[in-house]
Amino acid sequence: MLSIKDLHAEVEGKNILNGLNLEIRAGEVHAIMGPNGSGKSTLGHVLSGRPGYEITQGSVEFLSKDLLTLDTEERAHLGLFLAFQYPVEIPGVSNMEFLKASVDAVRESQGAATYDTVSFMRRAREACAAVDLDQAFLKRGVNEGFSGGEKKRNEIMQMMLLEPRLCILDETDSGLDIDALRVVASGVNGMRSEPRSFLLVTHYQRLLDYIEPDFVHVLADGRIIKSGEKSLALELEEKGYSWLDESEVA
Amino acid sequence: MSQEQIDRAIAKDYAAGFTTDIESDTLTPGLTEDTIRFISAKKKEPEWLLEWRLTAFRFWREMSGPDWAHVNYPEVDFQSISYYSQPKSMEDRPKSLDEVDPELLATYEKLGIPLHEQEALAGVAVDVVFDSVSVATTFREKLAEAGVLFCSISEAVQHYPDLVQKYLGSVVPRKDNFYAALNSAVFSDGSFVYIPKGVRCPMELSTYFRINEANTGQFERTLIVADEGSHVSYLEGCTAPMRDENQLHAAVVELVALDDAEIKYSTVQNWYPGDAEGKGGIYNFVTKRGLAHKNAKISWTQVETGSAVTWKYPSCILRGDNSVGEFYSVALTNNLQQADTGTKMIHLGSNTRSTIISKGISAGQSSNAYRGLVRVGPAAKGARNYTQCDSLLIGDKCAAHTFPYIESKNPTGVVEHEATTSKVSDDQLYLCQQRGLDPEKAVSMIVNGFCKEVFKELPMEFAVEAGKLLEVSLEGSVG
Amino acid sequence: MADLLAPQLSAETPAPDWLEARRLAGKAAWESSHLPTRKTEDWKYTSLFALKQPFTAATESSESAQEIGLDLPQLSGSRLVFVNGFWREDLSELVPDAAIELLRFAEADEEQARLISEHLGSIVPNSKHPFSTLNDAVLSEGVFLRILADSKAAFPVQLVWHNSEQTDAAINSQRLLVLAEQRSEATVVEHFSGQGHSFTNGLSELILEAGAKLDHSRLHLESADALHIGGLHAGLNRDATLNSFHVAFGGKLKRVDVVINHRGRGAHCQLDGMYLLCGQEHMDYHTCIEHAEPQCTTDETFRGIIGDKARGVFNGRIHIHPDAQKTRAELSNKNLLTSSTAQVNTKPELEIYADDVQCAHGATVAQLDESMLHYLRTRGIPSDEALILLSYGFINALVEKQRLEPLRDYLKPRLAEYFGSAISAEPDYAAS
Ligand SMILES: Nc1ncnc2c1ncn2[C@@H]1O[C@H](COP(=O)(O)OP(=O)(O)O)[C@@H](O)[C@H]1O
Ligand SMILES: [Mg+2]
Repeated sequence: MLSIKDLHAEVEGKNILNGLNLEIRAGEVHAIMGPNGSGKSTLGHVLSGRPGYEITQGSVEFLSKDLLTLDTEERAHLGLFLAFQYPVEIPGVSNMEFLKASVDAVRESQGAATYDTVSFMRRAREACAAVDLDQAFLKRGVNEGFSGGEKKRNEIMQMMLLEPRLCILDETDSGLDIDALRVVASGVNGMRSEPRSFLLVTHYQRLLDYIEPDFVHVLADGRIIKSGEKSLALELEEKGYSWLDESEVA
Repeated sequence: MSQEQIDRAIAKDYAAGFTTDIESDTLTPGLTEDTIRFISAKKKEPEWLLEWRLTAFRFWREMSGPDWAHVNYPEVDFQSISYYSQPKSMEDRPKSLDEVDPELLATYEKLGIPLHEQEALAGVAVDVVFDSVSVATTFREKLAEAGVLFCSISEAVQHYPDLVQKYLGSVVPRKDNFYAALNSAVFSDGSFVYIPKGVRCPMELSTYFRINEANTGQFERTLIVADEGSHVSYLEGCTAPMRDENQLHAAVVELVALDDAEIKYSTVQNWYPGDAEGKGGIYNFVTKRGLAHKNAKISWTQVETGSAVTWKYPSCILRGDNSVGEFYSVALTNNLQQADTGTKMIHLGSNTRSTIISKGISAGQSSNAYRGLVRVGPAAKGARNYTQCDSLLIGDKCAAHTFPYIESKNPTGVVEHEATTSKVSDDQLYLCQQRGLDPEKAVSMIVNGFCKEVFKELPMEFAVEAGKLLEVSLEGSVG
Repeated sequence: MADLLAPQLSAETPAPDWLEARRLAGKAAWESSHLPTRKTEDWKYTSLFALKQPFTAATESSESAQEIGLDLPQLSGSRLVFVNGFWREDLSELVPDAAIELLRFAEADEEQARLISEHLGSIVPNSKHPFSTLNDAVLSEGVFLRILADSKAAFPVQLVWHNSEQTDAAINSQRLLVLAEQRSEATVVEHFSGQGHSFTNGLSELILEAGAKLDHSRLHLESADALHIGGLHAGLNRDATLNSFHVAFGGKLKRVDVVINHRGRGAHCQLDGMYLLCGQEHMDYHTCIEHAEPQCTTDETFRGIIGDKARGVFNGRIHIHPDAQKTRAELSNKNLLTSSTAQVNTKPELEIYADDVQCAHGATVAQLDESMLHYLRTRGIPSDEALILLSYGFINALVEKQRLEPLRDYLKPRLAEYFGSAISAEPDYAAS
């Protein structure tokens, strides 16, 4: 589904990704761990096409399309979803209005029928309930005045409504208390299915206790320096990243 | 987003830009006392009104145009404008809609304003003004049952001369300013509303203004009187064909809210703004003012997207104790449009309150200024004003200005003014695009969100129209 | 309008030759200019009617500091004192400081004269303010302070213009040029005080070269009958920092224009001011911040308390030029009216021609917080005292921001004195 080959990318003239390779097949859950500043968020932004990120080398194929030539919204239409580490606020635009416009745009592009308002509202309310957000949040401005945890849950709710093919979750677990973490995890687990894949960016093993990954990768200096099964995450939790410096990177 | 994308997003057409091919009697351009006599005679006006007009004309000749507004335009040649134009078929005012020229009806149909009552928006009575004359007023009988008078001002002069004579010029005196004086001298038509004591007007009233003829100015005059304890909501819409020359629109609107009355006045102004190079478009120089007596409330809501140059300050004189004034405004300028708009809240009575919410959006190379005055007079004990003034810039070639004047002479008054400036942030656009929205849709959604506080003040149908209008007006601004 | 030029010309001490051309140009410009009227937007709320009276030449005084009521903050460092426009060597003090050159124009050596000629008037838009051309027209006595590149002044420099009681309304003018060279640092205090009803036409210019830091204060403590029209123009080059603090008690007519020009990327200005008016006083502060370059910042706060029949005017303009991207500019103006006959006119203005900027302004006219008043009263503080305390707090926040301790110590009792007389005067305010 997603095939990243030798990806190099820079921001403001600074090299951040340095030859990253990653292969994700349909239905798989991959976790990416790595020290702060190693380029995890950058990877998510490069994949979703954030302006300002320059690809200097490499290729990315998503559902057999050359991802890097597409506009951000075209990637979204294809089914790529990024749950932001820091979701931005859009004052005055209500969550409901935003969700409807977004889901309509994605479905229209895929040739699927759009939902009528009533059934969409019902779906939105269900999604709200699933992530344990009060329905009042649907009426509030997008992320406007939301707490950190509320913003993250709002991202998961959008993911549920958009039904993407590839979900990239950038530190969605950071800053969540244990109950919220369970809510997020059960949201993700509920969506796990054959055609849908996940890329989880996280610092903590605890998320992986709830969402079992098929593969774990360690990102450092803009490259994946080690890949393994979920046991790798436990090892990292125990020893930190520095043991890799000596054994793998040096 | 690239400049190219933004440009594409903003470049849509002005949908109301067609002309109606209709035979009109149009007065030769020029302005003298004879012009005024002609208009007055054409309307079979009583002597006092002719005198009233002539006096205004004499004032006007002594005055000069305002030079303080933050707008630039070539001097208007008042002798090259025609001051009266009416469709031939309107020579004798049609008695009913069935007699109205089908070409005219088709024009309004095309603009989305069906005049046949059975097709009309339920619950909205419409007076339509085409160039200098009122074409039709719908739902008249239904309104009459409630005692509400709603007709063109020319008819009101004939049928309710006492009311007209009593209130005409009582809020905006003839000498008030250059354009008000001009309007007082040459006003052609407009709407008149009277709501009797204690009556809640059973439906929304609305007037639709259309300039069709080339080289004509439109000088409409609207007078709304809400008697004690009454309530009315009034809507106003305007469009004009696309023409290369600039056309002048100098209206006067007077509102009188007697004790405990409430007037809500909403405008969606979509005069032709000129093309992307700034050619053509309407000069919109308008004086709107309401006088609020004891416990009365006057609320102005405006969505201004059209006109090449706008100069307009709907105001409230809060004379009565406990009276309330409100001003909610969205002004959007694109391409080379210029707007200098805002309000005046004059607090004279005690415990008077006012709220000003202004949202200015500048795109292209346009210039958008908020100018407002809040005055607390010496007797306005406990007066309160709150003003929030936000500007949104789209692109780095446009300009946004804020000029709030605060004058306070009472130590118990509270006046608060806040202003901010922002742009549509790259992060907001990115989030929207990541969720599948194209840049145009994203910008229009963010702009609509920015205007939300104002839109929620509009009657339902208008709010939807206003949102769409913003979208169209923003076309080409996203880059 | 009375002749404002002739009495000054007659009294004039001859200007140094190298200033003569500027003086003549000023004279010509003044003679062809018109004084603003109330129809001029910038003078809408301030009438120049008080200038419609005959003025005489100011006369030299030799009275003692005590006799003329000279009362200055206790600052260490150099001090130049002018009385009625004339330099008083006996009241002045020069403390050696290797980082600065402090002199009167008449004393300038060739290099200094060159520097003065180069910078004087360089950031004053003459067309905007005819009084600056009048200042040029009578230019003879002036002060030049130069802070040498890469050095830090050891002491604050104090410049005092004081007027003594004179029988007739006298007219004089004041001029200051500060040149803070690259990466220099200094503190300057401008002090205006006096007795009687004389008219001072003041003009000060601050040039901050790249990386310079200047702490500047300007005190208007003249008598309630005084007339003052003043301009302060600052030019900030790359990464320069200006802290400018303004204090004004009212006068019969006082108008001060503070114009800050951000002329280099990354410059920063903190501008604080307060006006405390009573009696029939009139004070008009017009501030204007010109953001002509990217990445500059401005924090501006002005607060005013207006009592009795006084009138306060504040106009704060922030102008963001095209391409001045990444500007951050904030302005706040708060006013307190303490009598039913006092009035205030305030107008914060934003003029913005660049989109990637953060600009905000706010203005209020309001009362002290009722709940705070109530709180103090429940603690047994009588209402008029509570009012004074809270009003004091309203502006003291700005005094506390200032770094010069002797200046704070000097101002506080004088502010307290103002509150004692202006605030408690109207008891029904407390009751309402
Ligand atoms: N817009 C930017 N400009 C300059 N440097 C950036 C920008 N965005 C990210 N970086 C730098 O890129 C590196 C990787 O950042 P990021 O991908 O956010 O790391 P992570 O998510 O792994 O903590 C960091 O050193 C960060 O400072
Ligand atoms: Mg990150």
